[in-house]
Amino acid sequence: MMENLKDTMIDYFETIELILPFKAEYVSTARLTASSVASKMGFNIEEVEDIKVALSEVCSKLVSRGSKVVDSYRIVFKLFKDKLTIVFCCEDGTLNCVFDNENDSLGIAIMNALMDDVELCTKTEQLLLISKVLKGEKQDAI
Amino acid sequence: MPSELILTENMSDDFTEVKVVGEVDIYTSKQFKEKLYSVLESSGTDLKIDCSELKYIDSTGLGILVGTLKKAKLKGNNVYITGLKDNIKKLFLITGLDKLFFIE
Repeated sequence: MMENLKDTMIDYFETIELILPFKAEYVSTARLTASSVASKMGFNIEEVEDIKVALSEVCSKLVSRGSKVVDSYRIVFKLFKDKLTIVFCCEDGTLNCVFDNENDSLGIAIMNALMDDVELCTKTEQLLLISKVLKGEKQDAI
Repeated sequence: MPSELILTENMSDDFTEVKVVGEVDIYTSKQFKEKLYSVLESSGTDLKIDCSELKYIDSTGLGILVGTLKKAKLKGNNVYITGLKDNIKKLFLITGLDKLFFIE
């Protein structure tokens, strides 16, 4: 969990960053990017779909809340040898712990079921993170 | 490119069918909600939602389906969901919504 936040450059071999405005029309852009990244890592079709769905839940929540401080949020894809960690960052501290157990129960259930690690609350600029472990044989990159 | 959603409606004596083509996410959810709610308002029949060409739905969309079901029940009608692809059926199972809806 918190160990993920302490990852160093040595631990992962690639990072890809996407900066998106708080606009609903760009959530699909995040999904497409996640799909591409996960496919290239060797996740199978079902796993790629899981990652897209979980990522989209976070993006939708951030967009629905929006920010009065900044115009955009950042999605960092950390590519490990056998794991993809997606970190959502924003300089607006009011977006920490955006998920509400009562009102967001469907979204939280979906993320927890589809991802191997979900950290919904952090106290840093890194708002939250989700991870999926690459299991079994890698699929050929699409 | 924003998500695309096409909704078409077919009415018969026994039920009204709404065919959902594309993606339901935060961008298209308003359109999805308005269509389902207006169909419920204008018809006094059960509602069938054809999801055979639904590619993606998030928790916002699932929440709209639950709201639609609640409204339908208030009028004494049911909501049937047909043609779910495996990846979307999985979301119904995870969230327990498979127990709320008639899934065909």
